Amino acid sequence: MKLSITFDRLRWEEKALSDAAESAGLESSLVDAKGLVFDLAKERPEFGDAVLQRCISHYRSSLLTQALEGAGLNVINASAVAETCSNKLATSIALAKAGIPTPRTLLALTSEGAEEAAEKLGFPLVMKPFTGSWGRMVTVVRDRATLQSLIEFKEELANPQEQHMYYMQEYIRRPPRDVRAIVAGDSIVACVHRVAPRGEWRTNVARGAVSKAFKPDGELKEIILRAAKAVGGGILGVDAMEPDSGYMVHEVNNTVEFKGAQSAVDTDIPAQLIRYVAQTARR
Amino acid sequence: MNTNCKECGAGLSVPGDAIVGEIVSCKDCSTEYEVAEIGNGSVLLKPAEQVGEDWGE
Repeated sequence: MKLSITFDRLRWEEKALSDAAESAGLESSLVDAKGLVFDLAKERPEFGDAVLQRCISHYRSSLLTQALEGAGLNVINASAVAETCSNKLATSIALAKAGIPTPRTLLALTSEGAEEAAEKLGFPLVMKPFTGSWGRMVTVVRDRATLQSLIEFKEELANPQEQHMYYMQEYIRRPPRDVRAIVAGDSIVACVHRVAPRGEWRTNVARGAVSKAFKPDGELKEIILRAAKAVGGGILGVDAMEPDSGYMVHEVNNTVEFKGAQSAVDTDIPAQLIRYVAQTARR
Repeated sequence: MNTNCKECGAGLSVPGDAIVGEIVSCKDCSTEYEVAEIGNGSVLLKPAEQVGEDWGE
C-alpha cells in the first residue's frame, strides 16, 4: 500500500507519522503541498492508495483535499469532515444535532446582535473566532464594557467573517484543564488532561498547557466517540470539559496535533494513526 | 551542515538528519527558514512561511 502525507509545515507530528508508516512496512512519502499544482482534468496516481492530509493552513488543506478527492483519491480526513471541524459554528451545529452536550452557543450577525446575544447569555461569556486554532482570539468577556471594546476591535479586522459576525458561548465553570482525546475511527488512541499554565484560562498546548495522562470513564468515552462520529469521523482531536454539571464537548479538531499528548502517554500515537489509515485505505 | 542567517548573519547549523521541508530557526534572531534543498553536504534555505490566521489544528 502506498501512502502520501501532505504537509505545508513539517512538524514533529508529520515526521513521526512518516517514520511510523515506514515501520509499518508501507510505502510512504512526505509531499510538500506548497509545491503542488493541480490540473483538475488529470488523475494523480502518484499519490498512491491514500492521502493523510496534514497541512497546517486550513484553506490550503481544504482546497487541496477537494482537489485530491476530485482526482478520485481517498483523503483522511475527508473534505466534509474538515469543513465541519474548521468552522466552530458548523461543529457546534453537528454536536447539537447529535445530542452531544456542548456549551450553549449563539450566532450574532451584527454588533447590535452581539449585544443582544450577550443579554441572553449573561456575563461572563466566551467569544471565539469562527475559524482559527491554538486559542487565538478566544476571549472571556466579563462585562459589557469589555464586550463593547471587543466589538470595536473586531470591526477593524480585515476578515469580513470575523469583522461583523459573532460566535458567542456560555462560560463553563470547570477545573483549569480540559480533556484532549485523539480518536481514530471508532477508537480512542490516547487521552490526556491539558492543564492550563498559571495565569492562563485557555488550555491549548500552544498556550503553554501541559499534557497529563488521563483515563476517561465509560460515559466520557461514549461522548467523545459520538462527537467524532457527529462530525463525520476520521482522525480527530476531541476536546471535552468536566464541569460539575456533566461532561461537555466544546471542540473537534481536524488536523490533530499530538506531540503534547505523546509526551504523557506510553501508547505509540503515530503508529496507531497509521494503522487506522492503512485499514481505511484497504476497505 | 552550516550556513548563515540572512537576517542577522549569525552562524546557523542545520542538523545532519534534516529533511527537505523541515524548519530551522536562527538562535540569535529567531528568524525561521525552511530547508529547500540538501545535497553534497550543503543545504539551501528559504524563508519559512509566516504563521497565518488560518493555521492550526
